[in-house]
Amino acid sequence: MPRISAGIFRLLLLCSAVPAVAGTISVQAMLANHEPFAGAVVTVSAAATHAPVAPVSAIVDQINLAFVPDIIVVPVGSTVEFPNSDSVSHQIYSFSPTKRFQLPLYHGKPYPPVHFDQAGVVTLGCNIHDRMVGYIVVTDATYFGRTDARGIWSATNVPRGTYHVSLWHPLLRDTGASLDRDVSVTGDESKNITVQLAQALRPAPLQATARSRDQY
Amino acid sequence: MNTLRTLAVASALCTVAPGIAWSTDWELSADMRLVDSDGQPSLFDGGLGALRYDSEHEGVQVGRLRAALTQPLGDVWAVKLDASYFGQDDAHPVGLTEAYLEYRPYPVNGWRTRVRIGAFFPPVSLEDTASGWTSPYTLSNSALNSWIGEEVRTIGAEGQLEWLGTRLGHDFDLGVNGAIFGWNEPAGTVVATGGFSLNDFQTTLPNGYVGGHSSAVFPEQTIFHELDGHAGFYVGAQARYLDRVTLIALHYDNRANPAAEDIALNEAWHTQFNSAGVRVDTAAGWTAIIQWLSGTTSNGPPDDFYPWPFHARFALISRQWGRQTLSARYDVFGIESTDEDSFGAEEGHAWTVAYMFNQGPHWRFALEWLHVASEVADRATLLDEPTFAGENQTQLSVRYTIGSGL
Repeated sequence: MPRISAGIFRLLLLCSAVPAVAGTISVQAMLANHEPFAGAVVTVSAAATHAPVAPVSAIVDQINLAFVPDIIVVPVGSTVEFPNSDSVSHQIYSFSPTKRFQLPLYHGKPYPPVHFDQAGVVTLGCNIHDRMVGYIVVTDATYFGRTDARGIWSATNVPRGTYHVSLWHPLLRDTGASLDRDVSVTGDESKNITVQLAQALRPAPLQATARSRDQY
Repeated sequence: MNTLRTLAVASALCTVAPGIAWSTDWELSADMRLVDSDGQPSLFDGGLGALRYDSEHEGVQVGRLRAALTQPLGDVWAVKLDASYFGQDDAHPVGLTEAYLEYRPYPVNGWRTRVRIGAFFPPVSLEDTASGWTSPYTLSNSALNSWIGEEVRTIGAEGQLEWLGTRLGHDFDLGVNGAIFGWNEPAGTVVATGGFSLNDFQTTLPNGYVGGHSSAVFPEQTIFHELDGHAGFYVGAQARYLDRVTLIALHYDNRANPAAEDIALNEAWHTQFNSAGVRVDTAAGWTAIIQWLSGTTSNGPPDDFYPWPFHARFALISRQWGRQTLSARYDVFGIESTDEDSFGAEEGHAWTVAYMFNQGPHWRFALEWLHVASEVADRATLLDEPTFAGENQTQLSVRYTIGSGL
């Protein structure tokens, strides 16, 4: 009897390790000049109800008068710490409706993590150093990530179903439907999506200089 | 229960307190120069030369010794003090170039306000964006901004309102500002008496002056006095396209009574001007600036006014690569005179070329060549010299800076 039980257990384990029929959604983002668009945020949301993605604890540091990384994507319910590794003080704020908060003048790591409980984009700024800007994309999507140097990001082991794929970046000028796709995964297949931008990106921010008065 | 709650809040605050940075930020710098100049006696020695260093002030010179501090008072208030000694002449004292209380509340829904109360530079210069109101492009300011440094200072209160469009997904930020001020009625003296100059001098408060001891041509003139009880004002606007293009405009009027003077014979000058400028910065490290200023200054009894219209403008092009910056600037400036002897009339232009090397946060090395050519009527009437002068100045600067933020 113990031997039979062990066999059934192994069988069950094997079954659970083999996924149900699942596919891949691969997104390639291309700039208006047909070069790859690296760093674009891709979110893939299931049309059907799904279990929420587990929240994470993330860190957005401040180094050389810049947010590092300048863009992060986290699931709803996540927390983010904002240590200041610069020798100068920072004063971090967001007035984005998704999450309004302020961290009064500080350096080091004096404050507890900030909780992001609503989906949307949070724009970060420093009230002392106006050029500093960062973004937290808080998402309720099932899959998310950023495109690599080839402009590609992929979600694997995607169960059957219909999904909404969306592209975002703070420098995008393209808006609306051209950045969104609906895709159906029907089996063990790879769905390839190409998002071709029609307009050039906004120029990337110039690097802040420590000596700047940040005026004008 | 309340006591327990208070203790809990207090202990929470204590755990947070160590990193909350209400400590003083400070900066000390020493900028020494090696100077070669064939200039005429400068404004700082009571002459009509258009350079900071004249032929009597060559060799090793003090460029600027500076101490600055920022003391936060709570989270959104701060006191900023900037003290300097410019050498130049032993008689020029250590003093404050700026001293003010700043209120910087957090932006709300994309709108941000700023308030400054005290003594500070009005928002005129697109050059002087580095600490201590200095230029990251050249050692010497343009004629336009040199004049601002010599005799224009807001001693009063300024408010600024900005719309941070770029934080809301737009391409523009927009702002307006305005100030009321006093204690600057003599502003206009320098431009009318000594003319324009190209330098990095900043007249200090409270007793700093321009001009020279016992000079018959341009006697020393302290700048910061209230002589008539009239408040001056300025209103301005700024627009930014992303962080690439900056536009500013300002209308300034010190509303001085041109007949007013005090028992020490400090005279009020009614000075008003309009200024505008544009700066373009590119990702490749190029910066281009064009600034324009035009105004008048008037002095004298009501039935015998002497208005002096004046103008100054410049174009600057600069390229930064790594720690190096190479810049070139062309200045044009002039003062008209309605006096029958053309007292104060001037026309001039200047070329400046500067190379800067920022070795790191502490050391900066700079080499600048400056040529100014000017036609000044007073050289003939007061000095019996030719009205035209071409002056050349070459400076090598070594600056060392230490500070809490470096």
